[in-house]
Order: sequence, then C-alpha cells, then structure tokens
Amino acid sequence: MWADFGNGAMRISALIVASMLLASCASAPEGDPEALAEFKKLNDPVEPTNRAIFEFNRGADRYVIKPVTSGYRAITTPEMRDGVHNALQNLRSPVIFANDLLQGQFSRAGTTFARFVINSTLGVVGFGDPAADLGFAPHDEDFGQTLAVWGVGEGPYLMLPILGPSNPRDLTGKVADFFLDPINWWASNTDNDWVPLTRALVTGIDARDQLWNVLDDLERTSVDFYAAIRSLYRQRRMDEIRNGGTGDAPLPNLTGELDLKDLDAPVTSRH
Amino acid sequence: MRSMTKFGAFCLGVALLVVAVALPARAEEVADAQAFVRTLADKAISQLTSPTMSQAEREQGFRALLKEHFDVPAIGRSALGRYWRVATPEEQTEYMGLFEDLIVSTYAQRFRDYGGENLDILGASKPAGSEDNAVVVQSQISRNVAKPIRLDWRVAQASTDPSIVDIVIEGVSMMQTQRSEFTSVIVRNGNKVSGLITELRAKTKALAPK
Repeated sequence: MWADFGNGAMRISALIVASMLLASCASAPEGDPEALAEFKKLNDPVEPTNRAIFEFNRGADRYVIKPVTSGYRAITTPEMRDGVHNALQNLRSPVIFANDLLQGQFSRAGTTFARFVINSTLGVVGFGDPAADLGFAPHDEDFGQTLAVWGVGEGPYLMLPILGPSNPRDLTGKVADFFLDPINWWASNTDNDWVPLTRALVTGIDARDQLWNVLDDLERTSVDFYAAIRSLYRQRRMDEIRNGGTGDAPLPNLTGELDLKDLDAPVTSRH
Repeated sequence: MRSMTKFGAFCLGVALLVVAVALPARAEEVADAQAFVRTLADKAISQLTSPTMSQAEREQGFRALLKEHFDVPAIGRSALGRYWRVATPEEQTEYMGLFEDLIVSTYAQRFRDYGGENLDILGASKPAGSEDNAVVVQSQISRNVAKPIRLDWRVAQASTDPSIVDIVIEGVSMMQTQRSEFTSVIVRNGNKVSGLITELRAKTKALAPK
C-alpha cells in the first residue's frame, strides 16, 4: 500500500507541478514600482489559474459539498456536530503532539498529551472535551506551521482543487502530516485503506460545517470573494503559526508574503 | 575610546528618554480602552439584538454606533491603501459613503442571530511600534458549544475620545481583508478606483433592505 500511496502521491504532485508550469501566469506590471511592489506582495503569480480552480471549487461546493454538509446538519444537532469535531481533533493528537515537539513547544506538547489521555477516556473516545474544562485548552498544529517556525517561506499562493487555499509549504506539510500519523501507519500495515479515506471524508464535511455561516456571509458581502479568501487564509495561517500570540510581537506584513523576520521576534502565546 | 563611551551614554540617554515618554501614558490608556470596548459591546448588545427589529431599524442603530465609536474615515482610507491618493476628490467622497454603507450592511445583520453569547474582555496591550499609537483590547465571545472566538479591537487614542480603527477576529483583520479585496478589484479594472466604485454601488444596492 505504501508503494501505491507513494505512486499516487507522486502522480498527483507531478500533475500539480505540470499544471503550474502550463498555467497562465499573471504578468508582472512594468514601469510602476509601487504596482510591482504590490504584485510581489500579493505573491499570487498563477492567479488566473488559481481563480479558475476557485470557480471549479465553488461549483463543486454548490452541487456536492454543500448539499452533503446540509444533509449532515439536518440529521445532527449542534452538540453532536461539536462532538464529531472534537473526536476528529482527538484523532489528530499524535500529529499535533509531534509538531509541538518539532517546534520546541514542550509545554504545549504536554497539554496535547494530557488532552489526548483525558478526552480518549473521560471524553468517550474524544467526543467530549472534559480536558478543556480541566484547564487544557485545545490548540492545533501541523507540519506546515512547523516548517514556518523553522524558517521556511510559504511560497506562492495556490488554490488546490477541492482542498482549497494553500501554498507549497502548507501542501508539503499536509503530506508530511499524513506520514506522521500513526493511524495511517496502522491502516497501511493492516490493509485498512478505508480508514484514512473515511476519515478524510468526515474531516472534509466537518471542515465545511465549521465554515457554514462564515463562507455564506463572506460570499454575500464581498466584492471579490477570491481575494477575500486569499487574504483570510494568509492571515489565519499567520495567526496559527504565531499560536494566536499578539502582545508586543510586530504585526506581520498581513496582506502579502510571509516575512520570516517577523517570526524571529518573541511571541507571547495566549495558551 | 572616549568617543565610544560618549556615544554609549548618548544612546542610553535617548533610550531612557523614550521609555520615560512612553511609559506614563500606558497604564491609563490601556484601562480606558478596555472600559471603552466594554461599554460599546454592552450598548451594541442592548440596542441591536432585538429579534423584532426590522433590517432597516437594525442598520440605523448600527450606523449610529459605528459613526460615534469607530473612526470610519481612517478605516476607509486604510482599506483603499495607496489608491486613496490616486482617487479624485469626488471619487473619495463617493467611496467613503459607499464604504460606510457596505460596513453597515455587512455587520448589522450579524446582531440578528445573537443568542446570548458573552463577550469577555481578557486584557489590553499596546503593541510597540504601531504607527497609529493604538491600544489592542483582547476579548473573546463564548458560545455554549465549541471554542470561544477571539476578538481583538484596535482602539486609536485620538486627542478626543477613543475610537476603533480595526477589529481582528481569530487573527483576521477586517480592514486588511477589505483592503486586499478592494486592491484586487481596482487592479482588475485597470488600476482605476472608478471600477471599485461601480462594484461597491452594485454590492450596497444588492445588500440594502428591501
């Protein structure tokens, strides 16, 4: 299965790279240094292709993803959906724990470990979150964030089919997280390929459910939905990388390219 | 050697002066900003969340609070970025009106779905090196289910009353998001502010109470 997965991943990567190379690139503005600076800051060199994929995603959302999520919402209560979300997050614990450690965040790793133990037992395999009531607040980490903490730049903005907004760093992180996850090791060793597949499907529905009001509201009120999503994604990632820290950390260059100099500053974490 | 010592003393002097000037204002400003946000949030919850209000009534109430406690001209200018300087005076005036309408119709309706969530003020700080001398008040909205939502308020300390210049939800600045949208629309319309104004006219019309 590993070989299969590797081949599949390779093929998909090759496809992405090929389509990027073939992609119509937005031409950099000439003559106007301010416009050029803005183009660089936007860091979206394949914008025409990204916008086309974005439109495809909107169609997929309208005809498949949203109706499926709507069905899910119809047969569940908000409390049940919250439980499913908790359980999915609990399953991610080993990956979060590994990334906490890789970022040198030992106290956060301890929190992740405590949460996993408490919620897997008292929380009935993770559906409840008694750990939060005991003072172990949830947080998320992924390998894309770890790479950022290590000083890797995000690279150009990418809109992925179905998966949505990303960039080479975060895409690499997603693949690495898959291989970091012991559940996936187990599934591949025991030929239980349906487990990661089912999990990916439920995670996707949960992710869409989490954005239920936000996306509709944003689409209704924005004058450029694509640009709004691009800005939101970058700002959210920046916030996640800084672990929600504010305080005296200098504000990053929010609209544009991730400037890693900003990350060297001490960050006061809220958690 | 001697000049080095002198230079060092000079630097120390400057540093002390900066600290001396910056410090006394802090504590008081930070406390004021917190109280200001608390009062505003309570006002908004008591005035805008009645389920029997019509959309027009809610928007009217929201607009009054917005004009009183937000620095709308400053937010509007920031959201237009460098194109503010490019725009003609007529364009600037029309843009400001449309911008205010867009803010009103975007945010006023959110109070309709208010379900008794609490807004807790967590603290406030003054980020070093912010050009507008603003205080950031941190708060969170607690819900019955799921994690609380983090909400930061940027409060500018003008000579008169404090006023809000940005709201940051879970690390996402509303002003920054708006700016990136507006810039994108202008660039797609051949770097013309008039292109944005046309789209803003259509958007605010579509969102207006029927």
